[in-house]
Amino acid sequence: MSRILITRPEHDLPTRYLSRWSTKIIEEAQSKGFEVLDLHREKACQTEFMGRVSKTRPSLVVLNGHGHPDAVTGHNNEVLVATSENPEILGGLLTYAVSCDSAASLGKRVCAADATTFIGYTDKFTFTMQYRKISRPLEDERARPFMEASNHVAVSLLKGHTARQATARAKRLFHQKMMRLLSSTADPDALLDAQTLWWDMQHLVCLGDQEKRAF
Amino acid sequence: MANVELKNDEVRDLVLARLSVLSSDTAISIGSNGSFTRDELIEHVAAGDPVGKKFEEIQLEWLRSLKEGIMTHVADPDYQT
Repeated sequence: MSRILITRPEHDLPTRYLSRWSTKIIEEAQSKGFEVLDLHREKACQTEFMGRVSKTRPSLVVLNGHGHPDAVTGHNNEVLVATSENPEILGGLLTYAVSCDSAASLGKRVCAADATTFIGYTDKFTFTMQYRKISRPLEDERARPFMEASNHVAVSLLKGHTARQATARAKRLFHQKMMRLLSSTADPDALLDAQTLWWDMQHLVCLGDQEKRAF
Repeated sequence: MANVELKNDEVRDLVLARLSVLSSDTAISIGSNGSFTRDELIEHVAAGDPVGKKFEEIQLEWLRSLKEGIMTHVADPDYQT
C-alpha cells in the first residue's frame, strides 16, 4: 500500500491554516487508497518524524511548517530536518514542503541523493486572510486560493502526475486564481491577493528527480 | 517608456498608498516573519523594518514582472520562471 506522511504543526496562525487546509490533502489521499501517517500538532516532532520516515519510507512526504533556507520545522518550531543534521532522511523520497525558504538550500542538499525530489519554496510562503475568519480557516475565502493552489502540488502527485507536472499544474492554478482576481475591479483587496499569489507561484520550484511519482 | 527606477522612499510611499485602500479585515501571513493586520503592516512598512522590507519586496517583484510583461505566461510543464 502506498503511504503519505504529512506533518501538521498547529501552534500559530499560519500553521493552523496549513494544518486545517491540509485535511483536504488527507481526504484526497484516503480516497485514492493511500495510508495516511498524520503527524498532527505535538506529533510533528523530530523523533516521531524520523522514526516514521525511516520505518515506512512513504511514497510522498508533505511537510507543513515554518522554515528557513536550511531547515523545515514542526510543532513549536522544532526542527524536523536540517541541512546540518539529517538531510539524508529525505533521500530517495518525494517531498513537498510548504515551508518558507527551504528549497533554497535544504532542498538542494536533500536532492544530492539519487532518485530524490524536493518541491518547495525558495522564499517566504505568503498568503492573505480574512481577519474575522482566523478561528475558522476553512471558511476563509481570501486564504482559499493560496491553500488550494498549494494543495494542488500534493493532489496532483496523489493523482499520479510526475513531480514536474504536479509543480506546473500548481503554478497554473496559482496563475488562474491570480488572473481571476485581477479581473475583479470592484474588490480593493483583489490586487494584493493577486500579487501575493504571483509571489508564491514565482518561488515554487521542483528540485531533483523531475519524473518521480508518488506511485 | 522611460526606464524609471524608484527610490526607497518612493517605493515605501507607493506601498503605503496601496495598503491604505485595503479592507480593515485584511490580514497577511509572511511565513516565519509573522502574521499582520493591515494596520500592523502599515506600521512595519513605515518603519522600514525587515517585515516592511519583505512586503516591499513582494510588491517590487510584482512591478518588475509587469514591466517585463511575463504575467500572461501560463504555467506549463516546460515553463521555467
